[in-house]
Amino acid sequence: MPIHWKPRFLWTLLVPILSIPRSLASETFEEELTIRALPDGKVASRFSFSTLLEGATPRNPQNLSAEDTSQHYTLFPLALGQILREYAVAEMHLTLNAGKWDYERWGYPDETDVGSGAELWAWMGDGAGATVDERWRGLRNALAGLFCASLGSLDELRTTSPAFSFAPHGGVPDAPLPLAIRHASMPSEHVCTENLTSFLKLLPCKSLSGIASLLNPHRLFDADWHGMGLHVAWLPDEGVQVRLTFQSVADPLRASLSKRDWSFASMFDRTIDRTCPSTASSRVIVALPLNEAYSIHPQPSSVEQGHAIFDLEGQNPPLDVSMQWAVDFDHAAVRPRSAEAPLSVRRTLQGSSQDLGRLSVFITNDGTADIQAAYLETMPWIVQFYLHTMTLRVDGVTRDDLIQNISYIPPIPHARAMTFQAVLALPARSTVHLSIDVRKAFLRYTEHPPDAQRGWDLPPAVLVPLGIGSGVERHGRRIYTPTLLVDLATPDFSMPYNVIIFSCTLVAYIFASVFNLLTRRFVVLHAELN
Amino acid sequence: MKLLLDVGLVFPVLVAGRLLLALTNLSGVLKHNHQLSSPLTSYLNLQEGIYLFKNGIDPYSGGVFRQSPLFLALFTTVLPTSRTACSIIWTLCDAIGAWALVQLWRARQRVAQTSRDGLIAAAYLLNPYLFLSTLALSTSSFENTLALLSLLFAARGLASPSLLAAALLLQLSLSSVLLLAPSILLLASSPVSQLASPRPFVGNGKKILPLLAEFLVYTTVLTLASTLVSSGWAWIPQTWGASLTLPDLTPNVGVWWYFFTEMFDHFRPFFLMVFSIHLVIYVAPVCIKFQYDPLYAAFVLLGVLGTFKPYPTMADPGLFLSMIAIFPEIYPYLRYPIVTTLLHLHAALLMPLFHHLWLNQGTGNANFFYASTLVFACANGAALTDCVWAGLRIAIGEPQDGYVVVQE
Repeated sequence: MPIHWKPRFLWTLLVPILSIPRSLASETFEEELTIRALPDGKVASRFSFSTLLEGATPRNPQNLSAEDTSQHYTLFPLALGQILREYAVAEMHLTLNAGKWDYERWGYPDETDVGSGAELWAWMGDGAGATVDERWRGLRNALAGLFCASLGSLDELRTTSPAFSFAPHGGVPDAPLPLAIRHASMPSEHVCTENLTSFLKLLPCKSLSGIASLLNPHRLFDADWHGMGLHVAWLPDEGVQVRLTFQSVADPLRASLSKRDWSFASMFDRTIDRTCPSTASSRVIVALPLNEAYSIHPQPSSVEQGHAIFDLEGQNPPLDVSMQWAVDFDHAAVRPRSAEAPLSVRRTLQGSSQDLGRLSVFITNDGTADIQAAYLETMPWIVQFYLHTMTLRVDGVTRDDLIQNISYIPPIPHARAMTFQAVLALPARSTVHLSIDVRKAFLRYTEHPPDAQRGWDLPPAVLVPLGIGSGVERHGRRIYTPTLLVDLATPDFSMPYNVIIFSCTLVAYIFASVFNLLTRRFVVLHAELN
Repeated sequence: MKLLLDVGLVFPVLVAGRLLLALTNLSGVLKHNHQLSSPLTSYLNLQEGIYLFKNGIDPYSGGVFRQSPLFLALFTTVLPTSRTACSIIWTLCDAIGAWALVQLWRARQRVAQTSRDGLIAAAYLLNPYLFLSTLALSTSSFENTLALLSLLFAARGLASPSLLAAALLLQLSLSSVLLLAPSILLLASSPVSQLASPRPFVGNGKKILPLLAEFLVYTTVLTLASTLVSSGWAWIPQTWGASLTLPDLTPNVGVWWYFFTEMFDHFRPFFLMVFSIHLVIYVAPVCIKFQYDPLYAAFVLLGVLGTFKPYPTMADPGLFLSMIAIFPEIYPYLRYPIVTTLLHLHAALLMPLFHHLWLNQGTGNANFFYASTLVFACANGAALTDCVWAGLRIAIGEPQDGYVVVQE
């Protein structure tokens, strides 16, 4: 009897699993690699892997206490899906970048979020049983585990809510609850191989085939600039889209001073040997030079608007796209500033004192038109602004009328970060100099990091040009300034006991002396003369 | 010499000199100085609070502004905020303080005028601890003046003004609640020096409770006014609460800041409680021991505050030191005035130097400045214990030959 019992039991187990109705919508996976030569001879490449869960909507946070519907995906990364459902995240963006994106020489990046270090922002429905802050904490920690990054340090001290500069990309679900944003950035995060490994695990073909096979950590982390991103958004009428991106700026001129020729083999040390079977579309797009002689190999599938498009389906593997220029690169011809990005920002923290400093921001508008721009500063509480010292100058002339709509959330020591946002009017062909005095805080000795003398990295400021876009993008793209390093005064870490002992001794000594005098009486004694 | 000490001449000359000094650009240099202004009294923070208040942002929603809402009310309506105007206001406030000290001395001596008046005015107006703080536009100048006015009115028996000044002082600084007990005792008795002839409390003990009630009424009214000005109760944890929880660890001349910088997190609440209670512990014994001379009790408690207050500035011990001038009867009984003076000199010279080495030059570390604040606390403690000793020892007088005076 027992021999027959076991297989029958297994069969009864299997029946309900197989008979689950596939009520979930279909999923499509698309991958794309965009390569373009930058004006200064470097080559920017952008990998984009997007998975669309058709017909899905973000979870309603009001149903968080109820049991969630079971999740079955074929292409959509389950580990990520679970996190998104668990914390009812409507939209989420995580970027891990290394290096400083040089807007002046490279223009705008293909992916907007290029702030140095780790940056995470999420829109979540507000007002449910579990508060936004609780879910934000959970999201942070879950992503920290998923990406092997220290995102857990994006705590309350670094969290702000800059709703204007970080508007949702996708649609806002018709949920009964309003959405709230949480944003935090951690400029000192180092991006490395372990982050890429966990990034690749979210792809259906990992790095075994398709465009993802070019993601070779040895080459990518050797690039002048590199960054990876995870973007989740809800697209109305389509579904939930997860987009994994990887951007890098390689420098072919590093190997040879005059040849800026590149190929997959030279940039990634790999070629595409086979296609990923799960993709709906898999394309390599190369921006073609406008007024220069070049040759591109192999023959592109099609050419549209100055872009060569290689459809991986139609190409014979192994695919190794390469590009050669007829003439050598002329370093002298590099223009210092790209016309595409008329705004450039320089931000410094001045003053050698560990007590007071001055934040000085130079914003140059090279265009011929005046530009309105939203300027956002988010600072951990260790740097406190003295807003009454804020001045705006254009060519040495004070122009306080250029700043408007200041919104300011002051920092709370040991608890809350500061948010400063204002709309700046940037006159054409001029440089606006904004300066604010800042006070550097004194921390408890337990609040200092182990390498306290290194200083604290401050998040980048964000500048959003207003009203220059068209259509859906009403505003221009975000411009991130470089990060800053602030040098805080440190106590002596070796002697907490000594300080406690010294101070207590002093207090006790004075206390005892006073009480000794107050409690004992004076008496006159006859002196014995020996 | 007599002419030099004549208050009618000395006082205007000194005030004029101070005004001239105030109009120089010294305040621009000194206003950042951590020894002259603490986070609770700093002019920069006051200006920031006024700016936020004027621009419709609640200054108490953050952690920068920690002064009383009464300052907001005054500086956004009556008083100007430009630095020159402020320098003049602060100096005039010091002049009132000096005048109050002279009047206090006259009330104690029960005479209309003495030859020491000019000297006492000079002791207040020329005390570097006090006038540098005033030049740095630290609001502790207002605290000192209010403390002196409260004592002066109490010495003259003017109950309501005295209690009002004490209530205002409490709005500016929570720790000054220590002065309430001697002020009320002073109102119930007399300011005349009784140090040499101790006796039980002779005043009218029945007056104490109504006086206390009156003080509570003033405090309640002012608290409600502050709440009205700042439209909310958030100012209480930001101003009074800061004296109890020490959220801002900016270095100052006191003993709290480095102790709580280096304190282990799980012991922090315990030691905050110990340090806060430690201040209050002095009130009863000092008032009981000096029940025959409440003005002296107030003086001793000012010494305690100058040494152990949570956010002291140079002006706090400065007030104690200047007040020694109105108790000349204790001078012969001071045991080690020279040692105390040298300690003060040592600390006053080393503190700015070590502060600069630590924070600006980068060649010293926090221990340098901490050590000099310890010396400063020793100096203040030495002055305090010496004054308590002398105030008690005076009752015995000089012993005859063959006799010695000892403590039981």
